[in-house]
This record gives sequence, C-alpha cells and structure tokens, in this order.
Amino acid sequence: MKTGASVFPALILLVMTSSLARADAAAGQAAFESSGCQSCHYTQGPATEKTIADQLAKKGPELWYAGSKFQRPWLETWLADPQPIRPMKFNSVMEPNPGGHAVLSADQAGPVADYLMSLRSDMVVDGAVKVKKKNLKGKLIFIKKMPCSGCHQFPTKKKFSGGLSGPSLIGAGERLNPDWILAYLREPKVFKPVKMMPVFVGVLSDKDMKNVAAHVATFK
Amino acid sequence: MSRLFLMALLIVALGPVFTGAAQAADGKALFGFYCAQCHGTEGEGDGPNVTGDFPVDPRNFTETAEMEKISDADIRNVIIDGGPIADKSPMMPPWGKTLTDAEIEALVGYLRQLCNCTGKTG
Repeated sequence: MKTGASVFPALILLVMTSSLARADAAAGQAAFESSGCQSCHYTQGPATEKTIADQLAKKGPELWYAGSKFQRPWLETWLADPQPIRPMKFNSVMEPNPGGHAVLSADQAGPVADYLMSLRSDMVVDGAVKVKKKNLKGKLIFIKKMPCSGCHQFPTKKKFSGGLSGPSLIGAGERLNPDWILAYLREPKVFKPVKMMPVFVGVLSDKDMKNVAAHVATFK
Repeated sequence: MSRLFLMALLIVALGPVFTGAAQAADGKALFGFYCAQCHGTEGEGDGPNVTGDFPVDPRNFTETAEMEKISDADIRNVIIDGGPIADKSPMMPPWGKTLTDAEIEALVGYLRQLCNCTGKTG
C-alpha cells in the first residue's frame, strides 16, 4: 500500500510530462511549418530518392528521422544559433557553405526541437553502441584503414583535420546519436538512398561499424 | 505499312546511338557526384577534399601518358575495391557496394574520355 501510494503520484507526473512533451511537439510542428522549414527539409519517411537527380533536387537534409539522429540539447542550441555543419554548400562539390540558415527564436527552438525529436526511425537500436573515452580500433579504421577522414573534418590534438566534401564531424559527440551512426553504417540506403558517401556494408564488419560509431561519438 | 517498317528500322538503327549518349551522360553525372569530391570536377585531381591535410595526390585523369599505362580492368578494380587493391592509398574508397556494374562501366568510359586514351589492353 505504501509502495502504491508513492508510485501513483509518480505515474501522474509521468503522464503529465509526456502530455506536455506532446503539446510542445505539436507547437513545434506548427512553428516548423509556419517558418517554411519544409521548403528545404522533408519530414515524412521513408526516403524516396532513387537517382542522383532526385538527391540533387533536395535543398537541405531530410529530417524524417531527426529524433533518432540528433541529440536534443545540441539540436535546440543549434536551431537558435545555427552554424554551418557542412564546409561545402548542401549538394555542392565546389561551392563553400555560405551559412545563413534560418534562425529560430528562443521561444520556437525548444518546441521545434521537441517536434524534430519526435521523428524517429525504428531502424535505430537504442544502446547498440557503447561509448567509452577512447576507441582505438575505431580510430584506426577512421583515419587509416578507411577513407573517412578524406571527406570529413574531425578534431585532432592540434585543432582539426580532414576533407571538406562531407558534413564536419567536429562536435559529433554532442550532435549525433551514436546508435544512429551505427544504423546509418548498417543500413545507409534506408536513410540516404543516394549519397556521395560510399556504402560500407560488406566492407566493414558489424563490429568495425560499432567501433567507428563509438569513435565518432568521442569527437568534441 | 512501308512507313511503319521504315520507322521501326530507324528506331533499331538509332537505338545504340541514343544508348551510347545516355551512358556518356551518366558517366559524367556519376563522376560529378561521387568522384569530383577528390578528383575535381574536371578530373584533374584537385577536388575540395585535397587540402594540405590530404595524404596523397588523387589521380589526374587528364594525364594521358599516365592513364595509358593502366587498363580498363585496372580502373574497374580500383573503383570496386578501392586504392589498396592496386597498392594505392585507402583514401580511394571501395565503391563496389555503392555502384552498379553499369554505373562502373559508365565511369570507366568517362575516364577514357577525360584522358582521351584507351589504356593498355589485357
């Protein structure tokens, strides 16, 4: 009886919290749509791109699995103060990213982050990647065995290194969900059917993919 | 009836021409999307990834003399399995799980256009 009495208020609190989160997500969706975000980002999965032309017609990254891909604290901060993630303009090989992504007010950033975090993919397995302070196997694959660093900037002892054509991975530890990185390596075509990055399925073992995801998750 | 026959003949005769043109266009589009990031939009080995940090010089496909030394099979193998299959850098990724056989053939054809050469046979 005593246990029941303490569980009951906790349950009410849980129901209230999840209702509030839903309300914020609904407000966020309204803000997302009224701000015109959908003119560059689609939010309905699954992915439909079939050709290079389909991919090049997109103006910005798809967001239909944003809640599985991003970490919420980073997302809310970024929406209010967006800094370029890609050194090059989206879908461009040669044109540098000019920045200038739309900025949301502090009032809007939270609810829009809630909305985007509600967009999830069931291909992402929670807790699949164990992140430690270091993952030397993943590091070796990332910088030596595979060409990851050829296209992605990453932090080094000096400052940073790496190529420019892919999204920067500086700060990826705060930005990306490690379980999504693994899911993307395992099933790239679910998320991005046509993309400039090679498919590593059948090239890297599942263990290697976990190590790479865990290593990327250490990037500050 | 004879007009229909002539039209059919024309379609059969021009089919390979149209297919060839489409394949060449695909090769260029594929190159621009996948390869230009390191090899440059003109294939001169100077894509945006080739910064001071890049550990190797991506191949310049317009160097006819160098491209003459390698066969179509050599090119195909490196596209499929990456640089290490030819004792080159792992910075050249393995594209075999990304591209179809037809796309790889289109790329080989486009590289031969860029070098204006046929390469060694066999």
